[in-house]
Amino acid sequence: MTHAVQTVILGLLIGGVYALLAAGLTLVFGVMNIVNVAQGALLVLAALLTFELWRRFGLDPIAAVVVTTPAMFALGWVIYRLFVARIRTAPVSMTVLLMFALAITIEGVMGLTWKNVFRSVTPSYGNQSFHLGPLFFPKAQVYGCVTAVVVLGALYLLLTRTWTGRAIRAASENLQGSELVGVNIRGVAALTFAIGVATTGAGGSVLSVLYAVFPASHYLWISRLLGIVVLGGMGSVPGALAGALILGVAEALTATYVSTRWAVVVFYVVILAVLLVRPQGLAGSKLREDVAG
Amino acid sequence: MRVPAAGRLRLAAIALGGLALAAYPLLRSDDLYGQSVMIFAFLLVVMAGGWNIMAGFTGYVSLGQSAFLGIGAYTVALLSLHLGLNPLLLAPLGGVAAAVVAAVLGATVMRTREHAFVIITIALLFLFQTLALNLAGLTGGSDGLTLPLPTWDRDIQNLPFYYAMGGLAALSVVESWWIRRTKLGTGLVAIREDEDKAAVIGVRTPAYKVLSFVASAVLIGVAGGVYAYFLTFIDPRGMFDILVSVQIVLAALLGGRGTIWGPVLGAFAVVPLNEAANSIAAAEGLRLLAFGLALGAVVLFLPLGAIPTVRAWWSRRQRRQVPAERRRPLTVTQPAGPEPDRPAPMLLAADGLARRFGGVNAVDACSFTIRQGSLTGLIGPNGSGKTTTFNLVTGVLRCDGGTVRLDGRRIDRLPPWERAHLGLGRTFQITRLFPRMTVVENVVAPLRRFSWPNLAADAVSGPEARRATELLDFVGMAPFADHPAGQLSFGQQKLVELAQALMLEPRLVLLDEPAGGVNPGMVEHLAELIRELRRQGLTFIVVEHNMPLVLDLCDPILVMAGGRVIAEGSPAAIQRDPAVLDAYLGEGWGKASRRVEV
Repeated sequence: MTHAVQTVILGLLIGGVYALLAAGLTLVFGVMNIVNVAQGALLVLAALLTFELWRRFGLDPIAAVVVTTPAMFALGWVIYRLFVARIRTAPVSMTVLLMFALAITIEGVMGLTWKNVFRSVTPSYGNQSFHLGPLFFPKAQVYGCVTAVVVLGALYLLLTRTWTGRAIRAASENLQGSELVGVNIRGVAALTFAIGVATTGAGGSVLSVLYAVFPASHYLWISRLLGIVVLGGMGSVPGALAGALILGVAEALTATYVSTRWAVVVFYVVILAVLLVRPQGLAGSKLREDVAG
Repeated sequence: MRVPAAGRLRLAAIALGGLALAAYPLLRSDDLYGQSVMIFAFLLVVMAGGWNIMAGFTGYVSLGQSAFLGIGAYTVALLSLHLGLNPLLLAPLGGVAAAVVAAVLGATVMRTREHAFVIITIALLFLFQTLALNLAGLTGGSDGLTLPLPTWDRDIQNLPFYYAMGGLAALSVVESWWIRRTKLGTGLVAIREDEDKAAVIGVRTPAYKVLSFVASAVLIGVAGGVYAYFLTFIDPRGMFDILVSVQIVLAALLGGRGTIWGPVLGAFAVVPLNEAANSIAAAEGLRLLAFGLALGAVVLFLPLGAIPTVRAWWSRRQRRQVPAERRRPLTVTQPAGPEPDRPAPMLLAADGLARRFGGVNAVDACSFTIRQGSLTGLIGPNGSGKTTTFNLVTGVLRCDGGTVRLDGRRIDRLPPWERAHLGLGRTFQITRLFPRMTVVENVVAPLRRFSWPNLAADAVSGPEARRATELLDFVGMAPFADHPAGQLSFGQQKLVELAQALMLEPRLVLLDEPAGGVNPGMVEHLAELIRELRRQGLTFIVVEHNMPLVLDLCDPILVMAGGRVIAEGSPAAIQRDPAVLDAYLGEGWGKASRRVEV
């Protein structure tokens, strides 16, 4: 029993980190109808940047969040302005192909810069844990989850308490309507894309402590993230949070009671099953584009 | 049949190219490297051609197309190892396995639209890669499988692989060419251009999409079997490689998606890039960088691909003469017309229709009946629910309540294509022709029923095309038959859309503002066509704001307001009805009993 509770706790801790990563992906989809399949590559890039900061300057990976988040925000802005903005009105499939081209380009750059070697950041608390009775809470996971929750909280405040946030939410609900009431769609789109990419900054820094990453592991990460946002309902941030916690736990349980090799299959099966049974996911309604008059 | 000069030239070029490719390994029999590069090029032709059927014709982009290569390869390798048979003989079973996976997956995902499909294909690829890694007892896991070396004489070396793969490449071109000229192909392109409209003209979209996915997978599966034997070693990372998918997409996109020769051209352009990247850069990073940048550049700067871009440039250079419209009479087949002294039987009955959008009751408790052979006008102020009613009757929207019966049969739960098969045709307020299809292709596209032989029917010549030409003659648009529909004027598009609806051999045609946005001469032309069709027994419902036209053309007239039918009667009666005056002009006008001047 303790074992099961322990597994669920570990699953929830990692689920909190997943939530942050998936929030950015689903936000971009909701506002712009873009499936950013480069999100995994950007995430691994942020993790490797964190690794570099730690190796060169001894910067703590959790503290590195304050560096990587703005850096990834800026990168997202540039990517949007240079590439995505050019094909804003193109069919969804073309933007997916563009993001995919971006993903393998980033993978190539990372391969040339950091080589195809597993890298992970190992701070002093890396193998320490908090204890509560028979249960243990690995410090790295606790710090990571807390960081993710703080960043998510900031994102929540941004989206609900500021005019910018209201503009983003308006655009995600009704693009044309929000344009009519004076929302600058192009500005909002660039900002949303940059915010979506910025979540990979914080997420990647946290990730660098929890997992070893190498350039090609971005496929694994984008699979996880797509599983989460499909389960949550594409475009829905609350849905992504729920999906992240559920799949974090499901992955931990599979890894513990079946095998770590099968844990990732959970995400693929969830993608196929959700799109079969309930294409709109837990909360969203976007994926199933029922005809409109 | 006589082949025109340009066609003869093309056939000669194809034959010459095929001959050169067939002679190549015989002339350069010691160039093993060159032969294996060609084998990979043929493989890429097969894969890009398959991808093109799904992504180019049907409009659904897949990033996991290389999964079918792995499925075919593993199927053939495992069967060969267990049965002890030559993999080349078993290769067709690789195609069967790929087709089965595509059919099962297709059937489950066909309720979704494009971005969901992309995600699913990525998941599919990685799922199969993980299965091949983890089911080590069966697949050898990451150690892979080793096939026996070829049994034939060492002197002929790669020749069997070369000709097998070359044959598959040729077959894939023939497959694409054949599909594109059948009714199936026309339906697939219709789905790409406007999926909802395709359903309205009788295309059973889920079945089409599944067929398209199967057709795009099957040859790749066969090629996978041949390729596995050629390599004699397969492993999960090599066989379920997303970079292979990238090369597929790049090849088809570069050459021109939706064309027959685009994937071929693209494949032969991508293979040298692949070889160069392999030879210059030992580092995997540079190869990724090269493909990433190439794919990005094509998406941003050459999204249509080489062949369509050149074709567009060529047709811009050649000024086309704009033909004049010209009409010919037409006979539409209808069940025996109404007997003169008895009232015509009921054809359509709507009862209590309801549809809400959020909190708005667009249509609410809407009931009416349409008699066989009548020409009913449906009028009402803006927002009164006329178009929504059309959408509910034709199945573009689902009813929240109420029933629709056609000839006594309930149709309100049927999908749009089944309603079209039962005899409902419609046109749209803003015409929804398939802009990149030619006029005649637009008219050939509708399907009167779903049957397998019908899918294989020739859409370019034969009875279907002849009927389409007759209909175009009738509306006067035959001289424009080979123009892309998107280039026509709005009024001309309305004429073509009417011909398209007539192709269904409908019993009831719903016209949504046929005269809206059309010049007066064209309006008279349209009205004449409608009258002529009606004389032959066809039944119409017409939504229209042009009051003189409605009063002149239609009898009876239904008036909608607030989502329901508030009045019905002859044009004269409607003009005096107080409820109608209230609806159009506000409360009080009806009581004053003034006559509306129209």
